[in-house]
Amino acid sequence: MTSDTLKPDVATTTVDAPAQLTLAGTRRGPSASRLLWGAAGIALALLVWELLSLLKDDHVLLPTVPETARTFVDYLSKRYPAVGGKTLWQHALVSLGRIGLGWSAGVVIGIAVGGLMASVPVVRHLVDPLIEITRPLPPLAFIPLMIIWFGIGETPKFVLILIGVVPIMIVATVAALDAVPEELVQAGRSLGGSATHVLLTVRLRSALPSIITGMRLAMGGAWTSIVAVELIAATSGLGYMINNAGVNLQTPLVLSGIVMISIVGIALDTLLRLFHRSIDPTRR
Amino acid sequence: MTISDTVTGSQGAVSITGVQKAFAGRSRKAPGRQALDGFDLEVRAGEFLCLLGPSGCGKSTLLNLLAGFSEPDGGEVLVDGTPVTGPGPERGVLFQTPMLFPWLNTLDNVLYGPRARGEKGAAPRKRATDLLQTVGLADAAASYPHELSGGMRHRAAFARVLVNQPRLLLMDEPFGALDAITRAAMQRFLLELWERDRMTVVFVTHDVEEAVLLGDRICVMSGSPGRTRAVFDVDLPRPRDLEMTDTLEFVHLKRQVRESLEASL
Repeated sequence: MTSDTLKPDVATTTVDAPAQLTLAGTRRGPSASRLLWGAAGIALALLVWELLSLLKDDHVLLPTVPETARTFVDYLSKRYPAVGGKTLWQHALVSLGRIGLGWSAGVVIGIAVGGLMASVPVVRHLVDPLIEITRPLPPLAFIPLMIIWFGIGETPKFVLILIGVVPIMIVATVAALDAVPEELVQAGRSLGGSATHVLLTVRLRSALPSIITGMRLAMGGAWTSIVAVELIAATSGLGYMINNAGVNLQTPLVLSGIVMISIVGIALDTLLRLFHRSIDPTRR
Repeated sequence: MTISDTVTGSQGAVSITGVQKAFAGRSRKAPGRQALDGFDLEVRAGEFLCLLGPSGCGKSTLLNLLAGFSEPDGGEVLVDGTPVTGPGPERGVLFQTPMLFPWLNTLDNVLYGPRARGEKGAAPRKRATDLLQTVGLADAAASYPHELSGGMRHRAAFARVLVNQPRLLLMDEPFGALDAITRAAMQRFLLELWERDRMTVVFVTHDVEEAVLLGDRICVMSGSPGRTRAVFDVDLPRPRDLEMTDTLEFVHLKRQVRESLEASL
C-alpha cells in the first residue's frame, strides 16, 4: 500500500523536472493519466532490472530489487564503513552540507557577477570570454589541480562546486536580465520609481523566474562536482561511500547510494520548483 | 472624481522648440540617423493632440523625449515651463502593450507608483480602488495580468498611470495591437475618461480615423528627419462617439488628413 502511494509522487517529479526546465509554464498540474504512465514507466524499469538480475543470478554483478531495497533500509541506521563510518543518511547530510554551502555561495556570486555584466558593458566584455573559455570545461578536470592547491579538506570541494555553479548562474542571470523588456523598466521609472528601486522591484524581479531555472540547472552542476570529488578525495559523503562500496564489491550498497543521490536531488529540485511557483503567478 | 480635483486646466502644457535627436549608426563609419532635426511643437494644457505619421517619422522618439526616457541632443523640451530631465509620475506613459507587472495582481500593479514613491496611509489605496471601479475592473482587483483579457489589461494600465494623477498622458499607439472590436471599446473608454478629467494628452498613432475621432488637433509628421507636415484643428463637437465617424464632416476631415499623410510618404 505504501509503495502504491509513493510511486506516483516519484513519477511526477522525475517526469516533470526536465520538461519544465525546457518548456517553462506550458504544463500545469499533472493529470491523472500522466501520473499513471509515469508510475508505469518506473515499474517497468524495476521489472526489467529484476528479470535481468534473476537471469544473471550473480548478486555482485546485479543484485535483485528487494535485496537492494533491504540494503538501503538497513544502511539508513547501519554505519559504513563499520568502524568510524557513517549511516547512509549521515553521508547524504555531509554531501548535502557541502552542496548547500558551495551552491549558495555560487548562486550569490553568479547573480552578482551576472548582474554587473548585464548593467555595465565593460564588465561584460571583460568577463564574457572568461566564461566562454571555462564553460565547456567539465569541473572534474580541475580535481587534480584542486588537490594540489588545497589538499583533500573541505576547501577543494567548495571551490569545485563553485566551478560547477558560478558559470551556469552567470550565464542564466545575464540571459534573464537581458530578456526583461526595456519598456517594463521604463514603465516602472515613469510611475515614479527611482533607478535603484526599479532595478530591484522590476528588472531583477522580472528576471527572477529565469534565474531560479538557472539555480535548478546549477544544482545539477553542483551534484556532478561534489559526487566526483568525493569519489577521489574524501572520507565521507555519498560519493565516497559509493566508491568505497564499489571497491569492496558491495553492489547493493552502491545502488543504494545512487538511489539516495537521486532522492536528495529530487527533493532539492522540488523545493526550488515550489519556490519558483510561489513567485510566479502565471505558473499557479 | 479624485483626479479632476487635483488636475486643473492650466497644467500639462508642452513646449518643444528646436529639438534635435540622432541615433548612432551601427559602426563608426555608418552615419547616424537624424530622427528629429529642429522640431517644434506646442500643446496647450488640457488639449488632446494626436501625432500622426508613418513609422520611422520620429513620433515615438518625440514621445520618449517627453517621457524623459531619452534626452535631446539639442533644443528644449518643456512641460509646464520646466525642462524634462528624466521620467516622472506627473507624465504618465501608456505603451503599445500594457506592460503590467506579471508578478503583481491588478490592485498591486495600480499601487506600484504610490508605493515606489513612498506614499503612506490609506489615501493611495482608496484612489486605486476608486480607479479600478472607474475602469470597470473592481472585480478583477485580485486577478493577475495573465488572467485578464487584452482590453482589461489596457484598462488596468490606464488605472496604474492615472493613480499618479498625471498632468500629461503620453500614449504610443496604445491600441495598435488590439483587435478592431476591443480597439473601438478602448477608444470610447479613453474619450469618456478624457471628458471627465481633461488632462493634456499626446497620442501617437498611424491610424487616420483614430486621430480624427480622438484629437482636438492632429499633427501630421513626415520623416526622416521628422518634421511637421501639417496641423489640423478638429472642430467636431464633443463628447464624441463612434457614430460620428459616419457624418459628412468627419469623413471630409478624415480625407484631408489622409491626403496630407499620403503626400508625406
